[in-house]
Amino acid sequence: MASNDDVFTIVIRKRSWWFWALALLWLALEVVFLQTALASVREGEYRAAAMSWVAAAVLAAAGFIAWFRRGGTRWSGEPNAQSE
Amino acid sequence: MNEKDSSKKVGRRRFLKAGGVLAAVGALGSIVALVTGSERSGKVRKRARWIRVVDRPTLGETTADYKRFSGRDMFALYVPLKTQHDGVGSFEAEQASKAKRLATLMAAKRPGFTLPDQILSEGAWTVMHSAKPGAGLLSWTRISPHPQGETAALRYVDSPEEMASTVKTAARLYGAGMVGIAPMNEAYFNLKVPEDGPPQKGAQPQEKSIVFEDIDVPEVTDIRFAIPKRMKWVVTIAIPMDLDLLTLAPTPLGDTASALGYSHSAFVVSSLAEFIRGLGYQAIPSVNDTAQSVPFAVDAGLGELGRLNKLVTPEFGPAVRLCKVFTDMPMAYDKPIDFGLVEFCRRCKKCAEACPSRALSFDNEPSFNTKGPWNNPGHKAWFEDSYKCFQFWQKSNSACGICLVSCPYTKGKEAWIHDGVKATASVAPAADGLFRILDGTFGYGKQHDPGQWWKYSSQQDKRG
Repeated sequence: MASNDDVFTIVIRKRSWWFWALALLWLALEVVFLQTALASVREGEYRAAAMSWVAAAVLAAAGFIAWFRRGGTRWSGEPNAQSE
Repeated sequence: MNEKDSSKKVGRRRFLKAGGVLAAVGALGSIVALVTGSERSGKVRKRARWIRVVDRPTLGETTADYKRFSGRDMFALYVPLKTQHDGVGSFEAEQASKAKRLATLMAAKRPGFTLPDQILSEGAWTVMHSAKPGAGLLSWTRISPHPQGETAALRYVDSPEEMASTVKTAARLYGAGMVGIAPMNEAYFNLKVPEDGPPQKGAQPQEKSIVFEDIDVPEVTDIRFAIPKRMKWVVTIAIPMDLDLLTLAPTPLGDTASALGYSHSAFVVSSLAEFIRGLGYQAIPSVNDTAQSVPFAVDAGLGELGRLNKLVTPEFGPAVRLCKVFTDMPMAYDKPIDFGLVEFCRRCKKCAEACPSRALSFDNEPSFNTKGPWNNPGHKAWFEDSYKCFQFWQKSNSACGICLVSCPYTKGKEAWIHDGVKATASVAPAADGLFRILDGTFGYGKQHDPGQWWKYSSQQDKRG
């Protein structure tokens, strides 16, 4: 969002279908790893739980970094507004 | 872009997003349904779709050598084999040494070997120890008083599918984890029922023959067990073992899982046999006695024969105890299954590596080569060296079970990921090697701390 005095410009970036597919896959994997971590603690499989926590954390970090760094026009396949 | 166009564009975008989300949810739902397969159709319980029904067992190849087994398992064979290997008196010396070690471990209160640990197992054996083939709980004839008057002649009759469904529902109520109906196969029967307990010194073993005869009612006499030839159906049952206990093997506390499994088996088959008799048919309950349980379980589609030379089920792995009821009640048969186990076992070998006595086969392919008189020849399998296995039991001061725990198919029911892995292994054997590595990396199959069990279990609600 950019501002110039009293004028605000809202930029709505179009994201392609495969972005949403990847995001859903990321979300599904996050849910699976977190569920595995919690279930493994209940089953007394502490190493599996630790590995699952680590996998969930790494995946979460990777997802958020990708979200912030690659978000915007580059995902849409449209020309980058700043490069025009 | 005017306001009208903009609102139109936003609407389409929203529509596409909603469509994408719906498609993804649909796809995920399909995957969940594929994995869980928990839906029911009427009274029929359906299994996961990755468990394929096949006409022949995946490891069922037999030759003309396949005959009825002697019935003498490792418990009966160990004393003569030990004497043959290590000389006269070696068995007695081994038992004395074992008793001394056990006393020392109990006095030192070693976790898994304390007095409560030992006695917990003894308590769990109680029902099984009072169940003798053909008598009491495992009676071959009706235990309850016979009904009098008009109800005496009543008989439950329905379609074979409905009769099978009724019996399976009753079996599950009594405690069965899995139930299947297999056709009778006389070749799976033992030749004899061995005498109870170790043979008396100098006395001939008191064994009773098992025979099939044209009779209406099963007969148990001083010299024989007679099975009616009209009994063409075998209700095969798997009882899941308690994983919290089994993961404590090899300790007396871990042995409690087997003890409970056997006692539950005795309860389930005796209850189910009495239920079938009440419906107007004959029924013979059997735990480990009378016939081999594994081939019936394979034929009934409970699982496949794995590298351990034991049944491996898709749901509980090999951590089950098997039992069965022979009956003349007509029911629809189940078929064998294929969930990719044989291919997985070829590559995995985790059980063979985990076995402390090196009793399990490392061969890439199953074969007809048996390892000793405890194996029944004439069928293809990964045969095990039961003598080595049993020797480890003596050295470890308890029964074992490490192979059951180490199998990648032995998993708790809490984590969804296990069903996903099993489903993938079933349809994509190329991933088997990766799953084997991950199973080890995640630390599955390791012994849990026996010292924590009493504290941990006291906090659990075991009422089911």
